[in-house]
Amino acid sequence: MNPAGIPLKEPSVSAAAGDTEQLERALIDASTRVPVLIFYTSAMAWLILGTLLAGFVSFKLHTPDLLSDISFLTWGRVRPAHMNVMVYGWASMAGIGTAIWLMARLCRTVLRYPLLLVAGAAFWNLGVLLGLGGILLGDSTGYQWLEFPSYAAIILFVAYTLVASWAVLMFRFRRGEQIYISQWYLLGAFLWFPWLYAAGQLMLFVVPVQGVLQAAVGWWYANNLLFLWFGAIGLGTAYYMIPKVIGRPVYSYHLASIGFWSYALFSSWTGMQRLVDGPFPAWMVTASIAATILTLIPVATVGLNHHMTMQGYFPLMRYSPTLRFTVFGAMSYTVFSLVGVVISLRSVAGYVNFTEASVAYSHLGLYAFFTMVIFGSMYYIVPRLIGREWRYGSLIKLHFWASAYGIGLMTLMLLAGGFLQGASMENPSLAFSESVESVLPYLRGRSLAGILLTVSHFIFAYHFGLMLFGLGRKSTVPTFLNPVEAEGAEAHI
Amino acid sequence: MKGLAPLFLGIFGTFAFSWVGLTLVPNWQIGHLNPQSDEEGTDIYPMPQSGMVRWGARVYAANGCVYCHSEQVRADYAGADIERKWGDRRSAPRDYIFERPVFLGKMRMGQDLANIGARAPAEQESPSPGGGGNPGGSPTGPAQSPSSPTAQPKAQGAQSPGASAAPQQQPATSPATSPAASPTSPASKPAAIARASTRIASPSPAVAAVAASPGAPPSAGPPWPEQTAGLPPMYSAAWHHVHLYSPRSINFDSNMPSYRFLYQARRISDVRSSDALQLTGSDAPPEGWEIIPTYDAKCLVAYMMALNQSHPLKEVKSAGSAPAVSPAASPSAAPGGQPPPK
Repeated sequence: MNPAGIPLKEPSVSAAAGDTEQLERALIDASTRVPVLIFYTSAMAWLILGTLLAGFVSFKLHTPDLLSDISFLTWGRVRPAHMNVMVYGWASMAGIGTAIWLMARLCRTVLRYPLLLVAGAAFWNLGVLLGLGGILLGDSTGYQWLEFPSYAAIILFVAYTLVASWAVLMFRFRRGEQIYISQWYLLGAFLWFPWLYAAGQLMLFVVPVQGVLQAAVGWWYANNLLFLWFGAIGLGTAYYMIPKVIGRPVYSYHLASIGFWSYALFSSWTGMQRLVDGPFPAWMVTASIAATILTLIPVATVGLNHHMTMQGYFPLMRYSPTLRFTVFGAMSYTVFSLVGVVISLRSVAGYVNFTEASVAYSHLGLYAFFTMVIFGSMYYIVPRLIGREWRYGSLIKLHFWASAYGIGLMTLMLLAGGFLQGASMENPSLAFSESVESVLPYLRGRSLAGILLTVSHFIFAYHFGLMLFGLGRKSTVPTFLNPVEAEGAEAHI
Repeated sequence: MKGLAPLFLGIFGTFAFSWVGLTLVPNWQIGHLNPQSDEEGTDIYPMPQSGMVRWGARVYAANGCVYCHSEQVRADYAGADIERKWGDRRSAPRDYIFERPVFLGKMRMGQDLANIGARAPAEQESPSPGGGGNPGGSPTGPAQSPSSPTAQPKAQGAQSPGASAAPQQQPATSPATSPAASPTSPASKPAAIARASTRIASPSPAVAAVAASPGAPPSAGPPWPEQTAGLPPMYSAAWHHVHLYSPRSINFDSNMPSYRFLYQARRISDVRSSDALQLTGSDAPPEGWEIIPTYDAKCLVAYMMALNQSHPLKEVKSAGSAPAVSPAASPSAAPGGQPPPK
């Protein structure tokens, strides 16, 4: 079926997939082509913009006088602009693109109502653009991850409704009885997000809750966005890509089921642990800390499941870009969760609560886990939409290493710097400025990591642009990271 | 998994559980707090915010101050906030009932601001006599708290202006002059808020400087050049304006960006505006020009001056109250290193 010997079959379908099935899949892919590419292309544009903004944020933090006299480039506006562009522009749009394609594939039906999705993408872009402009012009609301002013939020919500109604319609037309694991996660993400977003908007802006509860709702929203929206899409994608690329069914459905339900139950209760020792009833914070610790159950089951699926197939990461990115992301999910548990423990949180460590945590979740999984899925999906293979294996390799080293360095810098900062801050015999001084070298290191990430994103954008303009390789063989040796490797694969 | 119904129900059920548990139940528990008052219905805390303060909160949000400054004081067992003199008791939900948005904050690249208004010199509230009238402060002072001239005499500590000549970066050199009055026994209720504003021992020489000044006649010249090297008293409104305009002119180590776009340069037409910033060195405008705050800047400073959680709350053990006053009042008890102004 595939000359390189990497079988490409549905995880849940028998190996004896016939020609009809391949044809059917090609038809499905073709039907998703326009909407998915629109989402991907927009996401890439936002990724590049968000990366440039991130550079500003990072450099301005240790060089405060850099361009500070221009109101729309002041640090306090560029930072939320960067976060929101990444969250709603890049991550959400790329995630939706992948989710659409996965949904169509897994429902085994051609994509219906593509116009809904195209309109959704247009509104989404408009919403992010308006929101970005609003933040830079001084219209930010001041709630983390909900900074977009209400006129942008409404447009985003409309866009979202279009996409979600499409997803539910799609489900209605699915073929086959079995609902694959990825579909649980995707359906969950599509149903959780509107509720979450509406609840956040309503409780903060329409009928605002009183006082500190605004902060509680804000962090509940931010954490659930991270877990139930990005996390669910990321895990769903990993559950599809890993078995798919190595051509082996998921190790255990049972584990997957436990993982999914415990994930839905526990991760949705997190959020308040980031307000530890704040002016709240103690039970709220304690409940979230307990929930954070309990997320170890889904982490363990998902991690075990992926590991057992990959067992014996790890060498394939040498060749398949998709697998390499996805496995990196899946492993980062474990790291992300473990870091989350550690920094939420009261004894540790006392030190790192108000430091850069929480920035490290967000980057671990949103970049090392989610973005890497999405990169992997894009390497898999884009060739199938365009009918060309990625042009340069070397560029993919560069992209991977720059991203991996970049995010690794960034996380280490921010975590180490955060702990030092917290240690100085909690020592009242040191002047407060000492705590800032102690983190500055690490922030410079973070800027270095940011340069690596910038390089990797530009490489990827260039490569993606080549694909978009039809300049990919015409070949039936997927692009591998390393040449597949004629004999030995194939036997191993 | 087969069948959509269990999947849908589970997806909705788990999320509904979290939504009810983490947002609705707390809203039912602490979502409808009222200001507290004493038996006679006076001494109300907290008070609704003035219009300038509300607009100042918008400016605070728009410029992302919350990404570096928190506004919450943790209990003494949970962190060093109280030891750092960021407050004399932990913050409680009731402190925030009129705040919207609430800027609890998640990062401290800068100091905690929960009590920044309480750290201002008491003379903020009585414009003209106290140290020659704090120009930038005049718009904000009256808005905040019922001003009471009786707040002034409380600061009786270091009388010598010489002590305050020390650079402001080392405020520890002059431990505070803190209110002698015990906050636990508010005899005269209306003055309580004004008194509260001095109770948090501001370790600043500025307080000393100002404390010394009531005796001195109001001078016509620039208010504080002799005492604080050209700078207004620490945490006064005028100080905030200079700090926002040029943070590193006040604290060399500061990592705060300057917010010059909130200020405008203007040619002095006739007399120097009373709002004009007292800038020195390279920050000073050219001859014949002055730097004045925009309305946004005035509101932002008014907002900061209104941040004051020093009023005791019934539900919070005023951990600071009884013990904190005495150490603050006695110079020897002040810790070696105080947080410098940021």
